[in-house]
Amino acid sequence: MDLLADVALLPGEERVTDKELIYICPFNGALKGKVFITNYRLFFKSTEAEALTLDVPLGVISRVEKMGGASSRGENSYGLDITCKDMRSLRFALKQEGHSRRDIFEILSKYAFPLSHSQPLFSYLSQEKYEENGWSIYKPLEEFRRQGLPNERWRITFINKNYELCDTYPTILAVPYRASEEDLRRVAAFRSRGRIPVLSWIQRDNQAAIARCSQPLVGMSGKRNKDDERYLELLRETNGTPKLTIFDARPSVNAVANKATGGGYEGDEYQNAELIFLDIHNIHVMRESLKKLRDIVYPTVEESHWLSSLESTHWLEHIKLVLAGAIRVADKVSGGKSVVLHCSDGWDRTAQLSSLAMLMLDSHYRTLRGFEVLIEKEWLSFGHKFASRIGHGDKNHADQDRSPIFVQFIDCVWQMTKQFPTAFEFNERLLATVLEHLYSCRFGTFLFNCESMRELNEVRSKTVSLWSYVHSSSTRYLNPFYTPESGRVLYPVASMRHLELWVSYYIRWNPRIRQQQQSPVEQRYKELLVLRDEYLRKLEELSPSPPSAHMTSPAPPGPAPTTQQFTHLHTPF
Amino acid sequence: MEFSEHIRTANVENVVLRQPFHPSTKGTLCITGHHLIFSDRESQSCRQVLLLLRNIDAIEKSVENLLGNSGLLSSARWKERAPGPSSGTLTIKCKDLCVFQLDIPGMEQCLNIAHSIEALSSMNEVADMYPFFHRPHDASLQDQWGLSSPQHQYHQMEALQRGRWRLSYVNGDHTVCPSYPPTVLVPKAVSDEVLLKVARFRQAGRFPVVCYHHRKNGKVIMRSSQPLTGANRKRCQEDELLLQAVIDGSDKGYIIDTRSSQQAQQARMTAGGGVESKSSYPGWTRLHRQMEKGKSLQESLIKVVEACGDQTNNMDRWLSKLENSKWLYHVQTALSTAGLLAECVERDGHSVLVHGSEGTDCTLLISTLAQLIMDPACRTLEGFLTLLEREWVQGGHPFQQRCARSAHSHARLQQEAPVFLLLLDCAWQLWYQFPLALGFSEDLLLRLATEAYASDYGTFLCNSDRERCAIGVKEKTHCLFQALLKPEERELYSNPLYESTELAIWPSVHPQSLQLWRGFFLRWSQQGRHLEEAHDEMRNMICQWGRLAVR
Repeated sequence: MDLLADVALLPGEERVTDKELIYICPFNGALKGKVFITNYRLFFKSTEAEALTLDVPLGVISRVEKMGGASSRGENSYGLDITCKDMRSLRFALKQEGHSRRDIFEILSKYAFPLSHSQPLFSYLSQEKYEENGWSIYKPLEEFRRQGLPNERWRITFINKNYELCDTYPTILAVPYRASEEDLRRVAAFRSRGRIPVLSWIQRDNQAAIARCSQPLVGMSGKRNKDDERYLELLRETNGTPKLTIFDARPSVNAVANKATGGGYEGDEYQNAELIFLDIHNIHVMRESLKKLRDIVYPTVEESHWLSSLESTHWLEHIKLVLAGAIRVADKVSGGKSVVLHCSDGWDRTAQLSSLAMLMLDSHYRTLRGFEVLIEKEWLSFGHKFASRIGHGDKNHADQDRSPIFVQFIDCVWQMTKQFPTAFEFNERLLATVLEHLYSCRFGTFLFNCESMRELNEVRSKTVSLWSYVHSSSTRYLNPFYTPESGRVLYPVASMRHLELWVSYYIRWNPRIRQQQQSPVEQRYKELLVLRDEYLRKLEELSPSPPSAHMTSPAPPGPAPTTQQFTHLHTPF
Repeated sequence: MEFSEHIRTANVENVVLRQPFHPSTKGTLCITGHHLIFSDRESQSCRQVLLLLRNIDAIEKSVENLLGNSGLLSSARWKERAPGPSSGTLTIKCKDLCVFQLDIPGMEQCLNIAHSIEALSSMNEVADMYPFFHRPHDASLQDQWGLSSPQHQYHQMEALQRGRWRLSYVNGDHTVCPSYPPTVLVPKAVSDEVLLKVARFRQAGRFPVVCYHHRKNGKVIMRSSQPLTGANRKRCQEDELLLQAVIDGSDKGYIIDTRSSQQAQQARMTAGGGVESKSSYPGWTRLHRQMEKGKSLQESLIKVVEACGDQTNNMDRWLSKLENSKWLYHVQTALSTAGLLAECVERDGHSVLVHGSEGTDCTLLISTLAQLIMDPACRTLEGFLTLLEREWVQGGHPFQQRCARSAHSHARLQQEAPVFLLLLDCAWQLWYQFPLALGFSEDLLLRLATEAYASDYGTFLCNSDRERCAIGVKEKTHCLFQALLKPEERELYSNPLYESTELAIWPSVHPQSLQLWRGFFLRWSQQGRHLEEAHDEMRNMICQWGRLAVR
């Protein structure tokens, strides 16, 4: 049997080994077959009547364990257990002879955890070429310009161009016009890891801004920092908000507890500011919650008390709290009030809140390209620690730094797409694809913890961007019903009654529960996209003026035009 | 009976209406024999609300200033002040789950209105109901009533399997079985004399009739009520003969009993019912699948509606509450039993007889769902309505008893049970799992869910064909199914994504695959309304694109 015929290897992908073994499928029982390992994936094909295949990028593997010993009796009790990061686990049984298991165990460990073996990640070996370069999707200055920045109240600073102010921030930052570089340095000394409040997004008409940062270093003694207080006052003044709202994403108990380790929150000394806690739990709670969810959906799905079991994982409740927090942020900002967001370090919950609020406020981020920009900007450039949270190529599966914060964000986006089926240009498939390659290590996009590390490791020049791949067949990711409504603020309902478990993602490995008729529906949607484009073309022919406002042209090329219809502000740039 | 007897106050001015999705408005409230009418003449919009009193499930009164001042004031001064500050609020809870409030000035008027609504909404005299008065300008009473006919079904079957089946008119005057239509399909080998005897052996005369013929393999679904074997295991040769004729000697068949075998045995010992024993019916294999009905189904509906309407912020127990209502469990049981039935026919290639006890509830539920699963002809808009008419209306589901009250009512339950609503929910689950396979839209299911409880049309009136004939429903009312198929309605009730498929649509019945029917249960929440609008928008887009492509 030639397995190669079934696998289209990626450019740069090389076969390493293959082996006859038995896949203990949780749904179909033991299946004899052949496994085929490359430097990118594990591919299994059964040789039995049940023509089952597995195609697993090695990047999703979190742990490889030996099961049973040389003396193990019983059928299929000797082999390998592979735990994956994407909700599944795989079990292979081998014959107890020679060193066959040791060999395959070592090969898997080496290629699944290259960083632990001083080997490069696959994305550095890949030779994939795409027409469009996804690395140029996000250009910070262009994005600021789209938002109307700089202007008379906000300036762009290059103070961090060598990552000296803050090594986990991007090089280009927007700060209040009246704050000097010296001010910024002094504020950085009082904010955890130097993550000072900087602008994430600004509403054109009323200049209400979302600023993000880390916690102030108040500590047990209740330290104050005049520069930090003055800086927040400057922030407030940029649009004359009477009271600046500081959203602390943490539960207040946690914020207090953080004082013990030198952190804390803004106290009464911050005049003209109000502090609101959003009660979102930390990375450890989220990790355990998803683990519980996994336990009830894989390999066997909890059947008898499904809803109460689901409730006991608290996963949807966490989703609710994150969404509810983002709604409060969006509501303040659309009401003309500026806000500051932080949690502890400002790279997990803060990223969730800012990006979700921006998705609610700015329809540009609801386009395919806009969404990519949003991820590049709020998650990647602002240093969400993808390497630590996901553990790419790292064998330390029990690392306490791992957490599905980004998965939770994508889930929140999915909830929004369900509640607003015409508001997003992209579809569910895009979200699933993003999550697939969050782990796969095929693309460089989600590697490393921050921009400075990515620069050091030459990610842009040596790896391919996920967005290059997405754009090579972007119609697969488009929603035919997308209706752009610029200026519309989306307020999803963050009530448990309106939230759903994303079954087609979390339970996708179970063939009995997989969504019905997936491919005909996708096919039909593809036809609809064609029909829509045809319609738009004819409409254009019929009328000399551009098509009616509520219809869209598919995938606007290049940076999208300004999405908000507000009076033009004078922008001195 | 005179409606006016119940109307002490027909008109009240300055009533404030508070309704979901609308700002509260002041206007005139009017109670007629069948309607609650609210019209707001103040504003530009001139909003009118026309609600069938029949749709009102419960009414809650709260009268203010009743005791507030009266104790302190002399009667003279009380009179001076009256009708000044006294007012009342009526909370009206509808069978379509909508809840709204009316603030009515004047305590007495408020109580009068409440009294009228209570009396008129619970009238039981069918001939006085609104469908007998409803005269739409675009329809005539001479129009065709209903969609299906046994004759048509018979000709289809005859074309495929000549000589196996026949139409019987044994029930021509509804005396053999009051809940069957005059014409039924039975095996050709069985004479009317035999049918008469079988009818006496089956509860309420519901002898086994053919309700579905599977074109792919010629197998049929039969339905009936339970055999009256009783404690001493009575047999009926004719009944055995009839079933033997269905499987035609060589073959074998399945009997799906919608009760557990204990329940069935209990029915035999205590209520004269029973099951088809293996020894008397060789060739038939009995499968028991327990399905809840009656009271426990009604209670389940009450619980799920209560959980959905819980306005408190304490929603952390939502999933447990939803689970405890057991509604989704009933959905699951219905779909999986229907799946079993379809599997017997389509995969195993055997005919099946379905019954529970009366055979007017769960029996109809699963035979309908199995047909939706197997038969592409049932999945079009017309096909689905025809199916409903054949299985539920002609099949003798007692709509009047089952849909007298819904989830909000405080009245003591009698024969109420949301079996038809459960069917619509299951159909929605199929629709949700197979977005392309069904030709009708969610709007159709929602409309039917409302119409079954309160309607301008006669379709869901009465409990059986005999009752409908007795009071002339077909002559004196209009047919809902015909109205839904009018060209101007068709677009709304069609699924624009529909692509007919010959394949069976096997639903996934795992709890993870079943969803709360938010479109119905959370219909009156802001989000529900919003989604409805989005779906309208999507339908319009597809229609628009399609039209231009054709041009």
